[in-house]
Amino acid sequence: MNLFGGSSTGSFGGGSLFGGNQQVVVNYNPMKDVEVASPPDDSVSSLQFSPGSLTSTFLVAGSWDNNVRCWQVEQNGQTIPKAQQTHTGPVLDVAWSDDGTKVFTASCDKTAKMWDLASNQAMQIAQHDAPIKTIHWIKAPSYSCVMTGSWDKTLKFWDTRSPNPMMTINLPERVYCADVHYPMAVVGIAGRGIIIYQLENQPREYKTMDSPLKYQHRCISIFLDKKTNGPVGFALGSIEGRVAIQYLSPTNPKDNFTFKCHRSNGTTGGAQDIFAVNGIAFHPVHGTLATVGSDGRFSFWDKDARTKLKTSEQLPMPITCCHFNAAGNIFAYASSYDWSKGHEGFDPHKMKPHVLLRSCYDELKPSNKKS
Amino acid sequence: MGRKKKKQTKPWCWYCNREFDDEKILIQHQKAKHFKCHICHKKLYTGPGLSIHCMQVHKEKVDKVPNALPHRSNIDIEIYGMEGIPPQDLEEHEKQRAGKSDEPPSKRARSDDEDSQDATSNNQMNPNGPMPPMMPGMPGPGMPPMGPMGGPMGPGMPPMGPMGPGFMPGFMGPMGGPGMPPMPPMGPMGPMMGGPRGPMPPMHGMPPQQRPQQPPPTSTSTLQSLPSKPLFPAAAAVTQSQPRPSAPVGPDFKPKMSNMPTSSQQSGPVKPTFPAYSSSATLSAPPTAPSATISAAPTVKKPESSSGMTTKLVHPEEDISLEEKRASLPRYQNRQMAPQTTISAPPMMNMPRMPQGGQMQPPMSQMNNGGSRPPGPPGPMGYGMMRPPMMGAQGRY
Repeated sequence: MNLFGGSSTGSFGGGSLFGGNQQVVVNYNPMKDVEVASPPDDSVSSLQFSPGSLTSTFLVAGSWDNNVRCWQVEQNGQTIPKAQQTHTGPVLDVAWSDDGTKVFTASCDKTAKMWDLASNQAMQIAQHDAPIKTIHWIKAPSYSCVMTGSWDKTLKFWDTRSPNPMMTINLPERVYCADVHYPMAVVGIAGRGIIIYQLENQPREYKTMDSPLKYQHRCISIFLDKKTNGPVGFALGSIEGRVAIQYLSPTNPKDNFTFKCHRSNGTTGGAQDIFAVNGIAFHPVHGTLATVGSDGRFSFWDKDARTKLKTSEQLPMPITCCHFNAAGNIFAYASSYDWSKGHEGFDPHKMKPHVLLRSCYDELKPSNKKS
Repeated sequence: MGRKKKKQTKPWCWYCNREFDDEKILIQHQKAKHFKCHICHKKLYTGPGLSIHCMQVHKEKVDKVPNALPHRSNIDIEIYGMEGIPPQDLEEHEKQRAGKSDEPPSKRARSDDEDSQDATSNNQMNPNGPMPPMMPGMPGPGMPPMGPMGGPMGPGMPPMGPMGPGFMPGFMGPMGGPGMPPMPPMGPMGPMMGGPRGPMPPMHGMPPQQRPQQPPPTSTSTLQSLPSKPLFPAAAAVTQSQPRPSAPVGPDFKPKMSNMPTSSQQSGPVKPTFPAYSSSATLSAPPTAPSATISAAPTVKKPESSSGMTTKLVHPEEDISLEEKRASLPRYQNRQMAPQTTISAPPMMNMPRMPQGGQMQPPMSQMNNGGSRPPGPPGPMGYGMMRPPMMGAQGRY
């Protein structure tokens, strides 16, 4: 317990709110990427770049230190801390409104807030009976709202003005992950369920499906059809180092497949470690994807060619989340502890969170090894 | 298509220039000498096959064909027996052989590569040369109509080299092996591109619709339909149950899905695998008392390993999300307002919905009105609760 006692004072009240680094022994940045200034003090739960509707690029990160931070990201990689908001519990997810004026934040304090960036004010817009795990902005022609998914086994839709939800959908289990791309929403829940919603006119269930994976769901990300640019399927990551590519209506059953990732090579010592897939992000231009894992690596994949494009060096800490900016030239990933090894695996003095930015446009080009 | 007489050339190994009496033996040689995985000693069928095997199974990169001459160690060229050898090399070899036919093969082999070094190394980079003119003369039992193909295919057609496994999706498990007939030298040159490899499932670059039509066209290779073992078993399984509308969840759904239909059902027997799931104790136990937690929480099953390797899931034993586990720690509770401790109280996660809303947490509207809060857990937390969730005008921090 002294581990925690010591650390909580260390990171929260320990004088240097931002950027105290003592005894950083290991190289936390083996990929030599650009480091975001003033990173969060505790693990980073979510990273989201501003939408392309803004002229400049902003990055928002939610953290277990209860804070939400916003940086402006220059094209040279320089980051300028802009603002910060606080919840009364760890922040589990963040989302941008489509116009980039607001950020929505979901927290273990069971509330969600809307942060107006222009006025730098945050107000509560949602309430659940348990921590809110996911938050997404839905922009439909006929309505717009915020969707929150919680461990209280509900999905709620909020118009941001009323204290009562526009709609509540009861779920059989706790929400573990979700993604929205109008007109589709997909929710991964405990017990390995997947529920897909159709958002036209109003959210309604489209179908529930059995999991293509055998282990707990951890992250989910919708992908688009290359021609129509509409959502056609999703990638689902589990704690067992595996990702499923799943189409809603596959033209061929073989279009759906799963692949292994984030596993140690196991040739030394004989045992293979299998790590959780902590995050999946699709590249906005190329349609290729990135996965990040508890093993401290990120990998880039081409799901259509079914090839791996790149795997990073191993970072000393897990990578907890990742995101691409709207132009697809910056890949942000957060190196911080994800609790995959319990508190035994946590050394708050060595595990300072870092947010890193990688120039990635070319690395994510689809593979075309035709010859 | 009877056997061709061995006319000019004995089969020879492109990788080490050794000659053989029979292509069968050559293939055995290549498998044992050049296509054997140095880690598990599995014999693969081609260089790219070996490379992909090592990458996928052992996560190791093999960039050279083992035991090959230095300039012939390109692992990306697909050579199987005599097939796939870059035409220049064939010509070169032919010339060498004509010149020094009375030398012992080993000796000749050596001089061979000295002489032809330039030509061949160029060639490796550019496997798309025209078909070798002497291909039709090639020996080999059961060889499909190479000759006729040679011409028309000629320059336009990339030799199979990089076509096959090199091409294959990165994460295919069992490589090359099953897809390729061991004995009949029906290599990649078969009647149709890719044809004889039939069972090799998802070759990318082929429209998916074609995949099913890839059964081996010849009777010899029909035997090889062993790869019916799906390469992506999970995906295959999914497809059976997948395209179904949700509303009438059929009885055919696996039992674990039975509680999934329209979302408002009470949580029934969630899934047989984790019977403890519906028990309410999961997060309720004081997080610092591991024994209690473990006894209550469902555990994550051990990963299965197909390759016989021991595997270990790097994840806590309980089958709850890392965030749930973490959020239940005092470390994160303490930071919150005192009442937040109620979060860890048993009812939160797993109690039936009805009582939960009313008892544990007043709905938001009530909170705004400062509505009285039902007795929570005793302690100093009563009002702290009211403070954090603020609405509207209070929203400013």
